[in-house]
Amino acid sequence: MTESYYLLIATFLPLLLSPVVYVIAKKRGANSATWLSFGILAISTMLLFMASFSLQGGRTAYIESYTWSQFGNFGLRIDGLSLPFAMIINILCTVLTLYSKPYMLHKIKESFKENFNKGENNSDSESGLYKSNTGVNEMKTLTVSGVNEEQYTNQQMGLYFALYLTFSMGMLGTVLATNLIEFYVFFELMLVPSFFLVAFYGYGERKRIALMFFFWTHAGAVVMLLGLLAMGFFAGGFDYDTVRENASKIPDQWLVLIVFALVIGLGVKLAAFLLHIWLPYAHSEAPTPVSALLSPAMIGIGAYALIRLWLELLVGSYSQYSIYINLWGLATMIYGGAMAMMQDDIKRVLAYSSISQMGYILFGIGSDSTLGITGATLMYVSHGLGKAILFMMAGAIILQTGTRTMSKLGGLAGRMPYTAVIAMIGALTIMGIPPTSGFMAEWILFNGVLQSGIANSDTLRIVAFGLGILATVLTAAYILWMYKRIFFGKIPEQYTKIKDPNRYVIVTMAALAAITLILGVYPNPLLNPVADYIQDMFSNDSTVLQFSNVKPVSLESQNDQNKLVAVVGGGS
Amino acid sequence: MTELQGIIGFEGLGINAWMVWVLPFVGAALIPAIAKVGNRLRNYAAVGFALASAIFAATLIPLGIEGGQVHSQINWIPILNIHAGILADSLSIFMTNIVAWISFLIFIYSVGYMHGDKDLTRYWFFMLFFIGSMQLIVFSDNLLMLFFGWEGVGLASFALIGFWYHDRKRDFVGTPGHYAGGIQMWASPSHAGLKAFLMTKAGDIMMLSGMFLIFGYAGTFGFTELIQDQSWATEMANNNLLVPAAVLIFGGAIGKSAQFPLNEWLLEAMTGPTPVSALIHAATMVKAGVFLVARIGPLFFAISALNSSQFFEVVAWIGGITAFLLATQAMVNPEIKKVLAYSTGSQIGLMVMALGIAGLSTSFVDGYTAGLFHLMSHAMFKASLFMGAGAVLHAVGSRFMTDMGGLRSKMKKTFIFMMMAGLSLAAAPFITLGFWSKDAILASVLESGYQYSWALFAIAVMVSFMTAFYTFRMLGMTFFGDKSKFIQETESSHHVHEVGAVMWVPFAILAIASIAIGLIGFGFEHQLHEMFSAYLANSFGIQSTVSVEQEIQSKGGSEFLSFVGLNPVAVIASFSAFALGAILGGLVYMKRAINPEIVSRSIISRAVWKFFINRWYLNTALYWGAVIGPLAIFRIVWRYFESTIIDGINPGLQGTMTYFSRVIKAGQTGIAQTYLFVFAAGVLIIIMLLFL
Repeated sequence: MTESYYLLIATFLPLLLSPVVYVIAKKRGANSATWLSFGILAISTMLLFMASFSLQGGRTAYIESYTWSQFGNFGLRIDGLSLPFAMIINILCTVLTLYSKPYMLHKIKESFKENFNKGENNSDSESGLYKSNTGVNEMKTLTVSGVNEEQYTNQQMGLYFALYLTFSMGMLGTVLATNLIEFYVFFELMLVPSFFLVAFYGYGERKRIALMFFFWTHAGAVVMLLGLLAMGFFAGGFDYDTVRENASKIPDQWLVLIVFALVIGLGVKLAAFLLHIWLPYAHSEAPTPVSALLSPAMIGIGAYALIRLWLELLVGSYSQYSIYINLWGLATMIYGGAMAMMQDDIKRVLAYSSISQMGYILFGIGSDSTLGITGATLMYVSHGLGKAILFMMAGAIILQTGTRTMSKLGGLAGRMPYTAVIAMIGALTIMGIPPTSGFMAEWILFNGVLQSGIANSDTLRIVAFGLGILATVLTAAYILWMYKRIFFGKIPEQYTKIKDPNRYVIVTMAALAAITLILGVYPNPLLNPVADYIQDMFSNDSTVLQFSNVKPVSLESQNDQNKLVAVVGGGS
Repeated sequence: MTELQGIIGFEGLGINAWMVWVLPFVGAALIPAIAKVGNRLRNYAAVGFALASAIFAATLIPLGIEGGQVHSQINWIPILNIHAGILADSLSIFMTNIVAWISFLIFIYSVGYMHGDKDLTRYWFFMLFFIGSMQLIVFSDNLLMLFFGWEGVGLASFALIGFWYHDRKRDFVGTPGHYAGGIQMWASPSHAGLKAFLMTKAGDIMMLSGMFLIFGYAGTFGFTELIQDQSWATEMANNNLLVPAAVLIFGGAIGKSAQFPLNEWLLEAMTGPTPVSALIHAATMVKAGVFLVARIGPLFFAISALNSSQFFEVVAWIGGITAFLLATQAMVNPEIKKVLAYSTGSQIGLMVMALGIAGLSTSFVDGYTAGLFHLMSHAMFKASLFMGAGAVLHAVGSRFMTDMGGLRSKMKKTFIFMMMAGLSLAAAPFITLGFWSKDAILASVLESGYQYSWALFAIAVMVSFMTAFYTFRMLGMTFFGDKSKFIQETESSHHVHEVGAVMWVPFAILAIASIAIGLIGFGFEHQLHEMFSAYLANSFGIQSTVSVEQEIQSKGGSEFLSFVGLNPVAVIASFSAFALGAILGGLVYMKRAINPEIVSRSIISRAVWKFFINRWYLNTALYWGAVIGPLAIFRIVWRYFESTIIDGINPGLQGTMTYFSRVIKAGQTGIAQTYLFVFAAGVLIIIMLLFL
């Protein structure tokens, strides 16, 4: 192990500097705060990259470990599994900082007007959750005397970025943790700032919704915690390594309960079918940059935790339950897609779409094959990119038109060409159409499910595959229908003059679009570590379908493969 | 005949083949940048990229004729042992040249047709993207990479069918106000694009499933790898999965080529600009499905020791049904582009039928050549007809043939060249390309020895009759008779005139070529036959059982017919179908000797007419079954499950909590006596518990 602190700095730098960002915003304005936050997160991302260079594929792991408490060591670990999650989280956080600037300025100015200029309408005492009633009154009087939109804006921007940085720290820490308790702490740490972000900067009944979001995910987390504690007690330690080594010590009747607790607890996070109630509200009413983080990055961490805590640590308990996860995923993807068809609000379509996409991920995790699990991991990445782009599109439309109701929109492609083009790439990613990363993820995922069905002659799984792949048509239908209602058709009178939003919005969207296109054509930087790691994870578990089992003639072809590469070697 | 080479990297002639499909993509990527310099330059650059791609395609022709093969591979996804590669063999070289050169002509035509449209950057981007994707399909050496092109074609068609996304009334297709079974039969461009994408996507998921099945057993997507090691096929056949997998892959072709039952998108696809329609119908998109069948057909035939004849039966019948279904509808439709669209679907059906019959007959190469020969001749005359129709639309300003009429004198060139291409479509005997290729199909069906070949033959003959009829009807309604009311009304403000050279020259070239090659059609067919039998023998080990010469001798028909390798029955059937159809169509619509109104006089004929114009109610069934039905179910779930039960959880919890708090509150009365009383009671209970 090397004596370096890449991951420690990458994780905690945002947290440490978040007060600084708040102060800077107050003193120097929103612009400096934006770029400072961007710089902090960019450094954090660079450090992640540097740590990942030492991986050399997915078969080694880069770990930093520090003695902590009686719970074991406090470790940060990047390996083939956590790499894609950590990367996407940090890339999205970094990119969305810049996107936040115009969006949040707009939002905060709007709320300023709402709160102070039309103060009389604001008699609802609840609206002052973040400031006392007297504070509101005080500021009202200040406004009357000509003070001071800018001050208010700067302060709010500072608060926003401070919370934002904490949120990103929580997500990254969850993924890098090497200890069950540490995992739980980070898991809750990412919940708290996201709660405040929704409650302070959301739309509609934001406080009620933020509370709902908090209670549901927190309840899920607590159920999961019960499972984690049981795991730790039986294994005699909370470190991942300890748990994995001693997984066989867990009594069978407890193992069932633990798995159940983990799946239900994380199912809430993933917003799986029947546990999804909080998601459409939270994601549609959160401020858009936060939606773009919540939806693709945060809820997908549930998938990471399932793979890490259940599949990897509780060795041997996976295959027998996999089919239930598979079917649950199927139900989620069809249900989410069907409900997305029923929406008239762009962000609600996207929220239900997220549920559906989490269904895909569950579908892959329940495939009982390394190929399917690899696909599920790629799906997280691809959904992260695609859904972030689409949420950013929704934000761009809110910025420019002030509405997100599709029946009031139409024909915007001519007025907002850049937004339309990039949104199309995002849409293709979600639909799984090449050459976007969505296709790479989807074909590997569905292939895994089918292979596993064939290998075990499991009719149920094959039927599930058929329905699942049919659900991709449903996905295409709701995404394209949404696209049609926003960008095609007659343009309403009042929008004939609007334009593309400014560079902050377009460039950040384009950056994500570029990543999805590159990964769609050349997935190796992502696929290799993930596939290697997941293959190793199950190398001793004969019940899980291996990559090599995909090919019935594996032994000879291994040699052929080497030869072929040698012959072709000059090619690429 | 050269030996087949092994796999090479990115080198030699392989580079040319890579260039054919990479160049259009490069062009597409550069178009937005070039557009910044100037619009005129952008248009020329787009045509230039198409030309460059076509020239690279042409450099491969010698290789194709001599039956060679270049297989160039590079590493792509090593962890799954997947390579990206191009396979330039006789089939792909034949196909790529059709695609490249016809696209090039359509590009030139576009410069004239689309002149003045303001969104041309987008137009050229997707046009280049379209042919790039198609060439990618043609050259891919494995199914996965092919699928990239496959979806690329779908995406480009979505974007181009919905090109005029503002949905102005004049860009619609269908007769406004026409309902069939409660479903409106006219559509806006954006609706049509969506429909095309989703319907082809339904085919694509079948194809993906088939691909995955094969990958599961073979561990590879590569065409050459699949033929080299056939153990996968044995294993799949043992599990009864070989034919399902093949049929599933064919499902992709059904979607893309608009075959029954996924045929309905093709008609609405006419909302796109006319050059796009020409491209979709002649060079890209719908031909992709036929190409796919031509790619995988020999593969499944070569392993037919495992009896995959059911697969070919499915293919042949799907083709036959589609050919018949769409030909009937073409006879009654009032829109010029839609008649051509129906006609395309119907002709594609014939090609698919020929490829299917190939696998059912003893001589695979006959049906195979016939199908591909018809693909080529259809590409030429249909591109020409579409461009001609575009010229007419351009001049008249209405898509309905009832608004045309008498254009013969005003648009002489368009009339002559459309007539030539139309004769080829109608298969006028001996001088047109369409005749030779259609005859090859009829002959291959007749000689196949398939049990029900008579039925398919009957279908093909009926289709030929209908083809001749609707072609003459279309030409008659457009160019003959008197000027329509519409033209008379608009003439004062908008004079109907011939189109410019940039528009008529491209379709003139194709129309003349389809007659010129038609004149030497028998020799041409012979060449193709030889090329493909060598290809099938070399690549798949499929030997044609009898050589052409022997075949002719054994049949011993009349001397002329045997000289050109014709089957007398097929010729007679084809000839009489043409004659009947042409005379009927000519009498009614050209000479206007019979009034078409007579159809409405009899109840039966009127019912048949209504059945045809309502598209056999397939569109209606599609919308009720696949759109309205599911949406109604979703709405019920939305209203009574999601909005009521799931959304009720939160208020439910809240209510329960409030209730509990009220119960507890009720105990906290604030009256000291009550507290004391409860306290005393508690103490009493404890004492009793302890001591009793």
